[in-house]
Amino acid sequence: MRKLTTFVAAAALLGAGSAAFADDTKIGVLMDITGPIANFIPPLQNAANLAVKQVNDQGGLLGGTAVAVYGDTTGTAQGAVDAAQKLVNIENVPIVMGSLMSGTTIAAAEAAIIPAGVAQISPTATSPAMTDLQDDGLVFRIVPSDNYQGEILAKMVLADGLDKVALTYVNNDYGVGIGQTFQAAYEAAGGTITASNKHEEKKDSYRSELASLAKGEPQALVVIAYAGDSGGKIVRQAIEGGLFTKFVGTDGLRDELLIENVGADALKTSFFSSPTSPAENPAQKTLHDAFNAEYGEGADKAFVDQTYDATFLALLAIEKAGSTDRAAMAQALRDVAMAPGEKVGPGEWAKAVALLKEGKDIDYDGASGNAEFDANGDVGGYIGKFVVDGDGYKQVEIVE
Amino acid sequence: MELTGLFFYLVSLLILGGIYALLCLALNIQWGMGGLFNAGIAGFYGVGAYSSAILTTAASSRHLGGYGLPVPLGLVGAAILAGLAGWAVAKICVRLKSDYLAMASIGIAEILRLVIVNEDWLTNGSLGVSRIPRPLGDLATGRMSDVVFLGFVWLVVLLVFVASSRLYDSPWGRSLRAIRDNETSAAAAGKNIEKFRIQTFVIGCAVMGIAGGLSAHYFRFLSPTATDPLLVTFLVWVMLMAGGSGNNKGAILGALAIWTLWSVTEIFTNRLPPEWATRSSFIRMLLVGLLLQVVLQRFRAGLIPEKSPPVRFKEEGPEPDR
Repeated sequence: MRKLTTFVAAAALLGAGSAAFADDTKIGVLMDITGPIANFIPPLQNAANLAVKQVNDQGGLLGGTAVAVYGDTTGTAQGAVDAAQKLVNIENVPIVMGSLMSGTTIAAAEAAIIPAGVAQISPTATSPAMTDLQDDGLVFRIVPSDNYQGEILAKMVLADGLDKVALTYVNNDYGVGIGQTFQAAYEAAGGTITASNKHEEKKDSYRSELASLAKGEPQALVVIAYAGDSGGKIVRQAIEGGLFTKFVGTDGLRDELLIENVGADALKTSFFSSPTSPAENPAQKTLHDAFNAEYGEGADKAFVDQTYDATFLALLAIEKAGSTDRAAMAQALRDVAMAPGEKVGPGEWAKAVALLKEGKDIDYDGASGNAEFDANGDVGGYIGKFVVDGDGYKQVEIVE
Repeated sequence: MELTGLFFYLVSLLILGGIYALLCLALNIQWGMGGLFNAGIAGFYGVGAYSSAILTTAASSRHLGGYGLPVPLGLVGAAILAGLAGWAVAKICVRLKSDYLAMASIGIAEILRLVIVNEDWLTNGSLGVSRIPRPLGDLATGRMSDVVFLGFVWLVVLLVFVASSRLYDSPWGRSLRAIRDNETSAAAAGKNIEKFRIQTFVIGCAVMGIAGGLSAHYFRFLSPTATDPLLVTFLVWVMLMAGGSGNNKGAILGALAIWTLWSVTEIFTNRLPPEWATRSSFIRMLLVGLLLQVVLQRFRAGLIPEKSPPVRFKEEGPEPDR
């Protein structure tokens, strides 16, 4: 009997939770909250919550309140599919923001979100496999594919007059994604990779790898790894051993930490590629000010911009569609994100709603980029070429 | 919450529940019947998942494959390869006492996982295998294909359950339990202990491989995130303990009960007030842990404890000598 009472109470709580707020419009937020990337997540939850809060402060969504419903993938495929099933079936959301890791994003999309006809927009899934998902146009992302940065990097290296380089990349989806695309694009464009090597993180010495990479007289070493881990060690040990003097890195290596570790002098001929915003991006400053005003700090943490933009876009898409009709979401998302239209930036919810009410087309340009989707739901974006300048980095060129 | 949504959620719950039921049945063969402490479930699950994925996908330049076999053949392949991996492991480790076997099998699972992450030519490493077909894929589209898949999964569960129950009752199963309960007396009765243990280990690993294969077909995409030991190895152990080690029905019930608990708690924690929102996932983990403690404390022998089949004597036979 007591069990029955408990059950009834639980059911009542569940029922009350969903019935009490009849004007709520839910959006799904799928994140890898627990699991391997748990320490990245708190600022990203803040970013998503900030978008929802701004919407509610400025008139709300569809005339009611916007509510973010979280799903935790636990960083595993099983957890991702389970959480996504709950979002689309129990919470009945029309659009899902997330997830962050490519593995959980794709598993959730394939097994739960696409079959339910729900649109999905990932802020950070960079895996090339996202491009050719059979997704009926439902899956979007606002971060360039690893393929994109790899291809741009190949162009950049050749344009710098380097046609013989050695390549080493870290063995995870970031390193492998960019590294392999770079190798293919570079060789296709006439460059020669003298040696290529995939390394593991968290080792103390990379000297034996470096010794084999230095064979064949490469002009530079391309390092696709993180400055705080293998990337920084590889650069330092290569300089110490006198094996390489010129390095080419990506956004993972472009970190002030690297300059602290090896000194600006040793890096003066090196350069780095990194996704960047078109020249000065006022939208990014707007977002960072609002974020720090709300939470005190953390606006410069990784992927805050992307997560905010993806959440804001998802909310705009619901407003544009005028209802929570799932079938309308993907098109509505394209409409609000892409040119032509009146420009809308982070936090400008009231302006966006007013424009939509007048029947005007809007074009959201966010802190992370202008979110112009191609046919696959991918974005291009800008890749900047950076060189060391004192204690920091200076952007010298933008490649689109 | 609408009824169709609830229905499809139940379908998804039962699909993953069915896959876990298979893992539990497999572990029940190894631990419940044979007393073999396998803490490397994720490794054999991963071998099965990748085998079936590679055998059934179309050609891709990113990983080994292009065989395009029908899904049932892929699952047979998964069982064979996971069984072979199990055989190799058993040959080396099965003589170890239970806790040492646990350590060895954790290590082996980690080796298998690292092979999966690192051998790009085989598995596409951390980028994963995509476009894995579903069985009877052209029978239904969209969410309805989940219903078809549900039937397929539970058909496999039923087959394994029947086979496993037959094994339990058979002379083979009786010898196995004799070895589990008292190794020395079983050896004195002339049983080849090592042979029995290797057989048990291989059968269990093959079923784990099938479960892995089924998950690959369910997710349609397979990357190393699917072989996380927390959600594959340890959760399965909890399920079997909660359900009733040594009892096949208990294994299935434990899998369904714990998976439902695991999944449904999030629906409740999502109803917490917004200021708790960023913490709700951790509260959920805590809640799951607490509930498991209660289950394990209250039902020490599991929900359905093991019950040995009665010893049956042929009526016309001579009176057994007591």
